Amino acid sequence: MIVKGTNLKKYFPIRKGIFLQTAGHVKALECVDFELNENETLGIVGESGCGKTTLGRVITRIYTPTGGTLEYITPEKKLLHLEKAVDKHQLKRFRRDFQMVFQDPFSSLDPRMTIGDILREPLDVHKIYPNQRERDEYIEYLLERVGLYPEYTARYPHEFSGGQRQRISIARALALKPRAIVCDEPTSALDVSVQSQIVNLLQELKEQEQMAYFFISHDLDLIHHVSDRIMVMYLGSVMEAGRADEVFHHTSHPYTRVLMKSIPHWDPKQRKLDKIHLEGEPPSPINPPKGCPFNTRCPEVMERCKKEMPQLQPITDNHSVACWLFDD
Amino acid sequence: MSIIQVEHLKSFFKTDEGIVKAVDDVSFELRENEILALVGESGCGKSVTAQTILGLLKSPPAMIEGSIKYHGQELVGLSNKAYHKLRGKEIGMIFQEPMSAFDPLYTVGDQAAEAVAVHSKLNKPEIRDKIIAMFNKVGIPEAENRYDEYPHQMSGGMLQRMLIALTLACDPKVLIADEPTTALDVTIQAQVLNLMRDLQNEFNTSIIFITHDLGVVAELSDRIHVMYAGKIVEKADVVELFDHPKHPYTKGLLASRLKREMKGQILPFIKGTVPRAFEFPEGCRFHPRCPHAMEICKQKDPDPVAFENGHVCSCWLYLKQNKTDGVESQ
Repeated sequence: MIVKGTNLKKYFPIRKGIFLQTAGHVKALECVDFELNENETLGIVGESGCGKTTLGRVITRIYTPTGGTLEYITPEKKLLHLEKAVDKHQLKRFRRDFQMVFQDPFSSLDPRMTIGDILREPLDVHKIYPNQRERDEYIEYLLERVGLYPEYTARYPHEFSGGQRQRISIARALALKPRAIVCDEPTSALDVSVQSQIVNLLQELKEQEQMAYFFISHDLDLIHHVSDRIMVMYLGSVMEAGRADEVFHHTSHPYTRVLMKSIPHWDPKQRKLDKIHLEGEPPSPINPPKGCPFNTRCPEVMERCKKEMPQLQPITDNHSVACWLFDD
Repeated sequence: MSIIQVEHLKSFFKTDEGIVKAVDDVSFELRENEILALVGESGCGKSVTAQTILGLLKSPPAMIEGSIKYHGQELVGLSNKAYHKLRGKEIGMIFQEPMSAFDPLYTVGDQAAEAVAVHSKLNKPEIRDKIIAMFNKVGIPEAENRYDEYPHQMSGGMLQRMLIALTLACDPKVLIADEPTTALDVTIQAQVLNLMRDLQNEFNTSIIFITHDLGVVAELSDRIHVMYAGKIVEKADVVELFDHPKHPYTKGLLASRLKREMKGQILPFIKGTVPRAFEFPEGCRFHPRCPHAMEICKQKDPDPVAFENGHVCSCWLYLKQNKTDGVESQ
């Protein structure tokens, strides 16, 4: 195991008035449990506002969680608690092991740095290569590793296409030989024909570098393709979790079922969208409904759903669901 | 019957980097009561085609040649004043980002009313009633109250419905929808697509639907035109195109779909990246990425070849083997 979160919460205060008094909270994460193992891809899927990006940022400690515990097990098998204020050196060490690839390759690379500068920075911060020649050779190796040419070190990000920039982001994440990479919608800003190239690259790195991924996406097909285990989120809570094929073949939660049905089918002879009946939109995370967060839209809603929040319960060994329908 | 007839349309732009041939010799027609999909990746010219039809491009810098006929009336070179009567009333448009299509300083009702007032003789209360009726039709809860609220109080899906409602309130004959569901979540996308289908049946609108998402196209459209680097490379009925794609680019796009049974395997992909608009290659513009590229592809642009059922494809593979009439298997 690399990292484990228990009961993670993240609330963002809403401040109003001239004295900026806290007028409420955006409840972005509500009691989320997860663990990420070595060389494993954990897929997080959900619609906008479900908290998947917030979770990615809590895990990399860009955000400090409001509640719960976040434990990191170092390569030396030492346990670090990351939920509280952490010692600077420990945090730096942790971030070396836990890198991030962002959604938008146009805003995640500094336009005024050359590709060489971008890849050099993490190596210098962590003082990996004291010898300049070795360092520059390593940078060239990294570029080749992600399918680019070593000559690109002198160029600037604007000279590259979206797919190439995403490769640069991946090279930057790889530079410190991390144990895991948090990928936040890494392909959704890319053209269809380029998406598969990036997915293939990430899969190849997983095998060859023993990488683990925390893979965030709204695209169910993509999540199914890359993940070993998945978590389906809605309004800050996990609705369904388990082994990827288990969740996809024995979809249980009403929300996951609707989500699956909403994906267009790529088959004009089997149009199916008009068979979907899901009314309404996700409620606001400032004022989430009482009970199950999905109760306002659920086709199978019961009285109990409006009063009590269901907990994530295992229905088989590799599959758990948070829904009263599965409570015996 | 065709409503819009586009012939040899060119939209070029002069930039510092050179001339951008955003739309280069594009011909197609929009038939009555159909949904025509223009499909392609970023920079293929699909949005510029729509903007040219609506006369939204300022010239200069845009250089527009060719012909666009709406019910026989030539639109290329039409004065701005004449266009004012056409836009909204005859040809409506829905944009990609509902959040930026509305002005944040006015209530949604005021903005909808403004659009309707330009084209109708109704008085204010009548317009209000009409818009509230349209809001109800597109499934906005509490439409009466929503009328006086501001765009930031709505979700993206709700704004996109309102945009559809206010566009249809003017009874346009043609609707151009530019990636109307791309910014929306899948469950909301499904709702909006259903809504567009229903409204199209009810109002007999012809729709040009612009998207990069082949899944959406399969669900919604009647005919598909695939664009690449400023050109239409393939035209066909939706079923025909998905069953028998002919152009290597179309085949590549269809193959790059994530299939469940491919889990964990290496995905097929189109090599290289989409060329930038001022450096489109000579000859067939797809040739540097094409798995079947031949010598001739690098030199000359292929002419369209017609197959049965209105299937048209511009590719040298079929020009060379004209006799076999494109029996090439996948």
